[in-house]
Amino acid sequence: MNGRPLIESERRKILPLPAETQCPANGTRSAVDKSVTVDVREDIRQGREPFSKIMNAAAALQNDEQLLVIVPFEPVPLVRALEKQGFRHTSHSVAAGEWEVRFTRQTMASPLDAAPAAASLGSRRNSGFTPMKMVEVDARGLEPPQPLIKILETLAGLSEGGQLNARTDRRPMHLYAQLEERGFTAETLEQPDGSFLTHVHRR
Amino acid sequence: MAVFSPMFTAVKPSTVRPAPATLPLGANAPSVALPLAFILTGLLALGAGTGWLVLQPRLLAAYHYNQFVIAVTHLFLLGWVCSVVMGAMYQLVPVALETKLYSERLARWQFAFHLVGFIGMVWMFRVWNLKQVGHFGSVLAFGVGLFVYNMARTLRRVPKWNVTAVAVAAALFWISLTVTAGLSIAIAKCSYDSTEGLATAPGVGTLVDGLRSIAGFMSRFDAISAMHAHAHLGGVGFFTMLIVGVSYKLIPMFTLSEIQSKGRAAGSIVLLNLGLAGSFTTILLRSPWKLAFALVGVGALAIYGWELAAILRARRRPTLDWGIKYFLTAVVLLFPLSALAVVLSWPGLPLNVFTGQLENVYGFLGLIGVVSFAIIGMLYKIIPFLVWFCRYSRQIGRAQVPSLADLYSARLQAVGYWTFLAGLAAACGAAVLSSETGVRIGCGLVGLGVATLAVNVGRMLTHLFRSKTRPLSLQTSPVPKPA
Repeated sequence: MNGRPLIESERRKILPLPAETQCPANGTRSAVDKSVTVDVREDIRQGREPFSKIMNAAAALQNDEQLLVIVPFEPVPLVRALEKQGFRHTSHSVAAGEWEVRFTRQTMASPLDAAPAAASLGSRRNSGFTPMKMVEVDARGLEPPQPLIKILETLAGLSEGGQLNARTDRRPMHLYAQLEERGFTAETLEQPDGSFLTHVHRR
Repeated sequence: MAVFSPMFTAVKPSTVRPAPATLPLGANAPSVALPLAFILTGLLALGAGTGWLVLQPRLLAAYHYNQFVIAVTHLFLLGWVCSVVMGAMYQLVPVALETKLYSERLARWQFAFHLVGFIGMVWMFRVWNLKQVGHFGSVLAFGVGLFVYNMARTLRRVPKWNVTAVAVAAALFWISLTVTAGLSIAIAKCSYDSTEGLATAPGVGTLVDGLRSIAGFMSRFDAISAMHAHAHLGGVGFFTMLIVGVSYKLIPMFTLSEIQSKGRAAGSIVLLNLGLAGSFTTILLRSPWKLAFALVGVGALAIYGWELAAILRARRRPTLDWGIKYFLTAVVLLFPLSALAVVLSWPGLPLNVFTGQLENVYGFLGLIGVVSFAIIGMLYKIIPFLVWFCRYSRQIGRAQVPSLADLYSARLQAVGYWTFLAGLAAACGAAVLSSETGVRIGCGLVGLGVATLAVNVGRMLTHLFRSKTRPLSLQTSPVPKPA
């Protein structure tokens, strides 16, 4: 092993894994290393698009958990997408046609870490941690076009370099063109609870 | 691998271009002008049709199988209902189903074919020139073909199918069949005359043979039964199917609720399709089994009403605005309409003056009651949003923009609601009694209701030409909340 840490597949061969539980986002949660494993090799073989499955698992991660994705190739665009959302990664080719990519949250608040809790913000400040200029907008429970208004009004006051996370009941179809016109871009992900999280940042 | 998005393609890092993790920016409904053109055409047709009934109340007070009734019915159905529904679908379907309209250009062409087709058809029905009805009907049918193709290609892009998407797909099937049946009826009535002398012309022999074959096939069926079957295809298959299917998306959206039982919602759509397929066949064949299929359709609507009531009970917005009240009134009117459907489907029901008038009421209540109330309710949601979005969406955060409710008068909505409802009741009652005066009064009140709608629409449209924004004050400046 050359002293390097065991990667997941090697540990599987050596140690019987303790009880694993299915997590809501289609992954397998391990109590050993606080990781959620999403094996999408079969999805890809079956011709299914595994992207949302992985992103849902990423969105559902606890702060101290890691995401282990098992894929038949190195998924470079996926890595870029998750890096933009505040994840770091390490990837290893385990065998022919098998890659393991491990994602961990960076120490600063990631865009998908949508917990708006003021308490956690306070604790970050107390620890001397500089938070990302992230603004949270909860536009759920509003009749159209109130979500659009709420998001765009908040966006108007966003500082340079600031980013915005907006939660809505529906995919904000009318928002995208407005963002584009104002020099922003966005990614929207459906959440396990059926709501949508849109991450808005400058182009 | 070809089916994968770019997100899941193994590529060398040097060639990577970050891909959006969502729909492309701008994935959206078409421009505002297109749906508004359809909707304004529809409103003009509604006004013209109502005025026609006021001037000729006998159309509703006497039996309906004559050229003028058929003309005014097509004015309402094609001019008013189809125009609005198609225009609204170009706007709503992409947004509600989270996709992008396949082609706005095709939609613009369809508008031209639709306009020429329905105006020509109504005029030719009025003068009873069925050969020209067939020609204008073909123009309209070509437009409907473009519409169906455009919507079908749009549906193919839907990322996640749900009950609304299924209902829209079913409605596209039924409108195609409706148009086919309508053209076949027209061919049956005129092909022998209109193809006289053409049989020997070069290049058209096959066409003439085809027309005559269709006419021969249609001659197997009773003309009135064929007309009633055709009307049910359009009325139930296209309009009611869309009202039911789209409301499963829009009512939860506007009342801040959710579908309470996906099984009930799906069941209502499945039963409605089954009931219509059976009703179409049994009406066409004058079969006594039409009662059974009418009951299937009524069962579907009962399940729909059950689910809608559950959605409303779970809503987080206690107050219902007038747009929703209009729509829910349409749903309530489904009860008397269903009762009439059962009565008129009763085996062995004699055709006399009274039952003939009941058929008139059935059609009027369905068209002006259920469908029109539902459409007006949805228009009070769609038009303000279209105008507001076109005029003010770019100003959000840069100026104080009016709210949707500022674009129209709620008082006019209320006045319009009650006059329309009173007119509907009076006209239906007068039609049963064959009272021309009563029909005139009733349709006059309906016309007043339409006038209030027109005034309100006018108020909304003024915003397109005269912006009513105000500068942001310090108090209203948005203050972002850091996380």
